[in-house]
Amino acid sequence: MTLRLGLLGAMCGLLCGCGNLPEPYPPPAQRPFFAAPAEAVRILNMADADAERHFVQDISAELEGNTWRWAGKRPTIRLHPNSIQKLIYSIDFAIADSTFQQTGPVTLSLLVNDHLLGRTRYASPGRRRVEKPVPAEWLRANEDVTLAAEIDKLWTPPQQGGTPLGFILIALGLEEQSLEQPGVGRK
Amino acid sequence: MKALAALAGAAFTVAACYSLGAILAARLGARLRRDEKFPLAFILGAALLHLAIFAVLAAHIAYKPVLLALLAGCVAAAVVTGDWRLPAPMSGQTPLPRPIHYLFCAIAGAFTVLYLFNAWAPEISPDGSSYHLSLVALYMRSHGFKPVVTEVYSTLSAGVDMLFVPAFAIGRHSAAALTHFAFLIALALAVLSYGRRIGQPLAGAAAALLVYLSPVVGIDGTSAYNDVAVAAIVFSVFYWVQIWDSQREGQILIAIGLLAGYCYAAKYTAAVMLFYALGFVAWRTRRIGPAVVVAACALVMAAPWIVKDWIYIGNPLAPFANRYFQNPNIHVSFERNWTAYLRTYGMKNLWTLPLEVTVSGETTAGLLGPVFLAAPLALLALRFRNGRRLLVPCALILATYLGNVGTRFLIPSLPFIALAMALALEAAAPLLILLVAIHAVASWPAYLQKYTNAWALQGIPYKAALRIIPEERYLNDHFEYRWARMIEDHVPPGARVLVRTVVATAYTSRDVLVGYEGAFNEEMEDLLNVGWDPSSQPRKQWTYSFPERRMHRLRVIQTGTTKIPEGQWDVHEMRFFRAGVELPRLPEWRLQARPNPWGVQMAFDNSEATRWRSWETLHPGMSIEVDFGREQPVDQVRVELSDIDWTVRMRVETLDANRLWTPLPAREELHQKQSDGSVRRAAGYELHAHGVDYLLLKDADFGAKEIAADPASWGMTRLVYDSGASLYKVNPSEVKP
Repeated sequence: MTLRLGLLGAMCGLLCGCGNLPEPYPPPAQRPFFAAPAEAVRILNMADADAERHFVQDISAELEGNTWRWAGKRPTIRLHPNSIQKLIYSIDFAIADSTFQQTGPVTLSLLVNDHLLGRTRYASPGRRRVEKPVPAEWLRANEDVTLAAEIDKLWTPPQQGGTPLGFILIALGLEEQSLEQPGVGRK
Repeated sequence: MKALAALAGAAFTVAACYSLGAILAARLGARLRRDEKFPLAFILGAALLHLAIFAVLAAHIAYKPVLLALLAGCVAAAVVTGDWRLPAPMSGQTPLPRPIHYLFCAIAGAFTVLYLFNAWAPEISPDGSSYHLSLVALYMRSHGFKPVVTEVYSTLSAGVDMLFVPAFAIGRHSAAALTHFAFLIALALAVLSYGRRIGQPLAGAAAALLVYLSPVVGIDGTSAYNDVAVAAIVFSVFYWVQIWDSQREGQILIAIGLLAGYCYAAKYTAAVMLFYALGFVAWRTRRIGPAVVVAACALVMAAPWIVKDWIYIGNPLAPFANRYFQNPNIHVSFERNWTAYLRTYGMKNLWTLPLEVTVSGETTAGLLGPVFLAAPLALLALRFRNGRRLLVPCALILATYLGNVGTRFLIPSLPFIALAMALALEAAAPLLILLVAIHAVASWPAYLQKYTNAWALQGIPYKAALRIIPEERYLNDHFEYRWARMIEDHVPPGARVLVRTVVATAYTSRDVLVGYEGAFNEEMEDLLNVGWDPSSQPRKQWTYSFPERRMHRLRVIQTGTTKIPEGQWDVHEMRFFRAGVELPRLPEWRLQARPNPWGVQMAFDNSEATRWRSWETLHPGMSIEVDFGREQPVDQVRVELSDIDWTVRMRVETLDANRLWTPLPAREELHQKQSDGSVRRAAGYELHAHGVDYLLLKDADFGAKEIAADPASWGMTRLVYDSGASLYKVNPSEVKP
């Protein structure tokens, strides 16, 4: 008797549970497409969660040490800044001891939309940060901008089939020139 | 004035409880001693008053005059009938030796001052200033119950919180905490009285102090919580059972049943006391009839809460058993994650629990006090009949503890443990007295702070209690309060605010959705996650191509498994193609999903921010089904999944002429895809579309950094930043395509 009552209770419970299930739904109103907006002017850190979305070429998919990536011959990124006035090209990079031993002094060319912004020769390995103002006429409002840094000599791996390496890239991007930064252009 | 109102609110509520309990106790023929009448009548009356207030809220007549009239009516009835009076003292009781009496009184007095001022000070305890009193405040604003599907804690039985309603109506937040403090007093008095009843007053007094001085009991019992009240109710069930056993007055079974039912109404885990009461009564009478009386009375107390959850939530046992009582309001995954956390509080080794809950208390939120390391001494009480009687309900209550290892969940078992310890040690009275003295020293805030940073009282805030320090200034020292005021000041009435972690919602009248506290909230939070977290974005596209087939119904079955409990099936979009052209989604289509049928439209809305989620651990057999409403040629199905869905595998099936589901011979391909549009703006659009126009994010919240970096990309504006939190508004004009 008790068992039957228990079973009856359990069945009622399950039936009540099932009773909550809704009828099938029709398709909902279709949502509009939202075009990707211009981003705030930014420096793209190689560790940023969305960094890979901005890569165009020659930047490793592997994030090393949680902060940097190997760059190839001409690492390039694409940004979509919401401003084109008073922008500064900014790159944080390093020339590795290990590659420098093979390549010797290297020259790095900085490019904005394929315009040459500057070219510098580095006669020693080490970390560098370079900032240079970008001429506004090289940029167009509401359009993508490509930023690149091209190295003249690549390190070639001793074993066949290995990937040639350029330099260590930590961050690359644009920043807005503040009133306190009139003389930007340091190396 | 606020201080007086708080006292008045609590005093009036307590008086009404006592009155109702005294009237019923007299009608039941219970012969209560002078010292036990207040605690037992108060707790019994609390059960009755809780039911009356439930009725008031259900009838939507919760106006202050109605509540005042209810309280006044209870008190007046007790005065008129004379039941208010305490019985004459009984002769022949053995008093405690004077030195011990004075020592114990001094200790109890000091802690009573500590507790009174803490309960009286503005209420800012974590749960008290959030869900306990925010629900009370909401019910008062609505003049009755309101379905609150976005607050999972509203589904818990709230038998003690019902008493906070009239107290709050009169004296606001502190009145509720003071009402809970009355239960602490009643509990200590009940333990004291029980010792006297069984002829062991020293054991009773020592046990009462062991309970009363315990740090977690002190802070919980002086906050708008319910654990100490639950302990008092649980102990009173035991107490009334013992009274019935000595008097064998059948009507006392009514009190036992009501209180056992009130255990369920106060806290689900305490419902085990019903089994205790039924078992004891059946064992002692060898008859089923008396147990039926107990069960019927218990049902009177418990049923309203079961029915309320059934009506509002669709699950009579909410927030549990959602797998069996499927409903759109509480996700199975929430229940699993929540209960899993409560079973460990993040502790890797549960063997450290005894030390944690007695000495440290920093992980499990509170400590019982180091003297409870000696709790195994309670087992020595098994030598005595009285000890065995205590340890049976103790074992039952303790059995529920491993479901939530927070220290305060030990409070209901504490009176039994303390009494059993005291009985075991009564023969060594000096040792017992020393134990109490050590407990007093170790529990006093100044000494407590020397060995733990656990949740505990910090001192005597008499200036705040007396409002010499204005309430606003005192509360402003707490971030949770400042965030609540930020919401109150910047969000218009009626608007909804999504937050990811708790704020002092009892201090705002706005509709605050805490991220994990409801299915809807979790879905809104998920929109944010999809916006900032690439692994949650639609980056995997599975394509199933097959020779063109005309079909009426088609379903995609999930066949993969996962070892990760958090692993889910997340379908951003499901699309159907014929000859490379997507089929337009027609109104006659009918969509179903198992599980979570309520969210299926999210897989067919063309939004990059929404996704249908299983909201339970990935397992084979989950499905999404489409009825095209007519014969429809199809040759390809595309399913867009979140990037993190590594273990999901699917099979496409169609319903054949024999009404059997038949797998389609599909060639499957997986492509990684990148979003072309703005997922973030789509998330902002969805928040607005779901009526959530405000968002409060603390700096450490997931996604806070990403939104703060560029709120415009989400279609949001930051309204204000204060105390480490930002309040954003979704701009409808900016989330238009």
